[in-house]
Amino acid sequence: MLWTTKYRPKNFKEVLGNAKAKDEISDWIDAWLIGQHPKPLLLVGPPGTGKTTLAHLIADEFADFIELNASDKRSYDILLRTVGEASASGSLFNQGLKLIILDEVDGIHGTDDRGGIRAISKIIKEGQNPMIMMANDPYSKRIKSLKSKSQVINIRKIHTNSIVALLKRICINEGVEFEEYVLRTLAKRSKGDLRSAINDLEIMARGKKNITSPDLEIISQKDEIHNIFDSVRGVLKSKNPQHIREAMRVEADPAFILELITENIPREYEKKHEIEQAYEMISQADTYLGRAFQTRNYGYWKYSYDLMSLGVALAKDETYKKFARYTNSSVYALLSKSRAKRDLRDRVADKIGEKTHSSRKIVKEQFPYLEMMFQNNDLARELADYFNLDDAEVKVFRSRKIPKKKKTKQSSGEKKDKTSKKPVKKSKKVKSNKENKDKELKSTKKKIEKDNPENKVESKGKSKSAATTKTTKKPDKSSGGRLARKDKTPLDKSEDDPEDLNSKKENGDKQTSLFNF
Amino acid sequence: MNGPWVEKYRPQTLDEIVGQDHIIQRLKRYVVEGSMPNLMFTGPAGVGKTTTALALAKTVLGEYWRQNFLELNASDARGIDTVRKDIKNFCRLKSVGAPFRLIFLDEVDNMTKDAQHALRREMEMYTKTSSFILSCNYSSKIIDPIQSRCAIFRFTPIKGHQIIKRLKKIADSENIQTTPSALESIVYFAEGDMRRAVNILQASSTIDKEITEESVHEVVSKAKPRDVRKIINKALEGNFMEARDQLREVMVVQGTSGEDMITQIYQEVSKMAMEGLIEEDAYVDLIENIGKFDYRIREGSNPRIQLEALLTKFLLKGKE
Repeated sequence: MLWTTKYRPKNFKEVLGNAKAKDEISDWIDAWLIGQHPKPLLLVGPPGTGKTTLAHLIADEFADFIELNASDKRSYDILLRTVGEASASGSLFNQGLKLIILDEVDGIHGTDDRGGIRAISKIIKEGQNPMIMMANDPYSKRIKSLKSKSQVINIRKIHTNSIVALLKRICINEGVEFEEYVLRTLAKRSKGDLRSAINDLEIMARGKKNITSPDLEIISQKDEIHNIFDSVRGVLKSKNPQHIREAMRVEADPAFILELITENIPREYEKKHEIEQAYEMISQADTYLGRAFQTRNYGYWKYSYDLMSLGVALAKDETYKKFARYTNSSVYALLSKSRAKRDLRDRVADKIGEKTHSSRKIVKEQFPYLEMMFQNNDLARELADYFNLDDAEVKVFRSRKIPKKKKTKQSSGEKKDKTSKKPVKKSKKVKSNKENKDKELKSTKKKIEKDNPENKVESKGKSKSAATTKTTKKPDKSSGGRLARKDKTPLDKSEDDPEDLNSKKENGDKQTSLFNF
Repeated sequence: MNGPWVEKYRPQTLDEIVGQDHIIQRLKRYVVEGSMPNLMFTGPAGVGKTTTALALAKTVLGEYWRQNFLELNASDARGIDTVRKDIKNFCRLKSVGAPFRLIFLDEVDNMTKDAQHALRREMEMYTKTSSFILSCNYSSKIIDPIQSRCAIFRFTPIKGHQIIKRLKKIADSENIQTTPSALESIVYFAEGDMRRAVNILQASSTIDKEITEESVHEVVSKAKPRDVRKIINKALEGNFMEARDQLREVMVVQGTSGEDMITQIYQEVSKMAMEGLIEEDAYVDLIENIGKFDYRIREGSNPRIQLEALLTKFLLKGKE
């Protein structure tokens, strides 16, 4: 058995420190036991200070309990069901009281666990069951709304002396001889985290007769894992290398930290040359990341870390004394917004690549040309056929569906036929489109003039010819569009629907994005 | 079914292939001898590496080339394990109706070093039954052990007159009129890349039945990444945040590649210098930086971040 389990307090008395908190908790339990329904408890405090221990001790006072880790998405279904059952079974006084323990409520993920906070709020409102929630970060935005609905109890760090006393007791109990100094050092290093102090002691002392100061070397200084935004803040707000190194102790993918620092540089730095210099460091840091990935030599990461932290930090003339609101990178929002579109493009590129013996990347480089080819109905039909693209996939290249084949098939070579027949057939539509045509004519002229100003004089005549061929095509498209709309089957609709859903989801993302970090 | 001209007019035999004469001649010798070492084709995009591999396969393997030819794209998101499995399954069987089996692996330079080492083992394992053709843009990104196991052929960009000849032939078959200046400008924009040249030709043909210099220009300007001038101007005005947002929109949402963006930035900056919108000194400085970041895009891990960094260089160059 791990020592942390073995020496876990068996009752409230054994719990170290936090006398006031313990009193409040006792009162709360008593209130439930005499049939009142007080607000749920929210235990807030750093790790290793006894929140879980307290919760379990509280659980002993009730008939039954259910413990859920709030960062687990599925727990809310379970939660709601359990709560439903508990209230449905009806309470025979206190016998039926089922305690709900929700750990890490500040770890509720903004997007994955959408509705999580809402589910909790709902349960609180019903107030049928005693509930305890635990959180590490008292300032977390995610628990803001919960704080007002519950009784907040702050669990403080354990005093070093108390930790030393407990460590001593453990040593005596385990038959380990010790130097007072060693235990004191361990306690200090733990920074009030009792669990880590006991863990460290166990690593040092288990199966040994005595522990001495050299044993301390086994255990490295406790690494404080920071919130990633603390790292960003540390880099942008400080010029002190010590602070910055400390701030960069964070468990995250270097590419992600790089992205977040990058995102917030212009939010903190104001002078142009600072932004430029900071970005120069970012660029070099990214180059080392690339080298690390390409060569699989992850030793390059250290340069990347130093450049993105110290390099960026020292790019500013002086630290800014202002409040800058840091945000997550807009790239992630853009990525999730465009995911469906990008997936579609990839799928189309793969289909085309199969036929043209080229990679996704090469095919995508040809997309602009394909886009232009797809503007021609005949060619579009041919290409869609050739690449085996369905209507949804064709949308990558043209907004409108390709009209169905006309009865009289015209080969691309019969130019004369086309020009002589069409205007007669579609004369009405041509007239109605006259205004559009004129606009188009002007715009193409302008465009050509803009693109190559040298050719201004020459292009006028020629662009006209280009425009006239366009206008003969135009009626085709509009009639095709109508046809297409008529032809729309329920199947097409269902293909469109996911997109709508996605867009709705995105809105949801926006709303919950506040909770993200 | 006609399909895209790049496929319709892809050369089917070694003799048909445009440019690369010295390479074709040496490859023909392998055909005569009926045996072939592992080959590596290096060179930029659109110069005929895949076409040559396909034509060679048909010639060497004969009637049953399809059954004895495996085409794999090494760089696509399939991962080395799938590639290895495919190779294994393919090589385990003996060739039927052909002297040996042929495996064509595209874009090997985009494989990681680890994957390349794995590939090298596959190459060794099946030397008796199979031959490999590898293709890549830069042979410098290929590990030495693979390079030393291959006869390396360096494909060069296709010469202007050769592109023109080919385009004319296509235009004739398609019954399309072209002006000489139109073909010249296609050559200019294609930069030795036949795939791009043919695609520009076909895209231009949808604008007008007679392809003129103007239609080519229209196609090329439409194909360029959009809004680059706007982004540059925002940066020059000192409005970095807006410039950055627009860059992200173009790259993330529209999916423009870093290489395309930097080429376009270079062209826009050159144009702006010509128009007197950027001072000479600033221009030289900017070009130096564009070159530097072009290199870093290839070396680094995130092209978008590199381009954002490049934009900050414009912040200091704006006319007050």
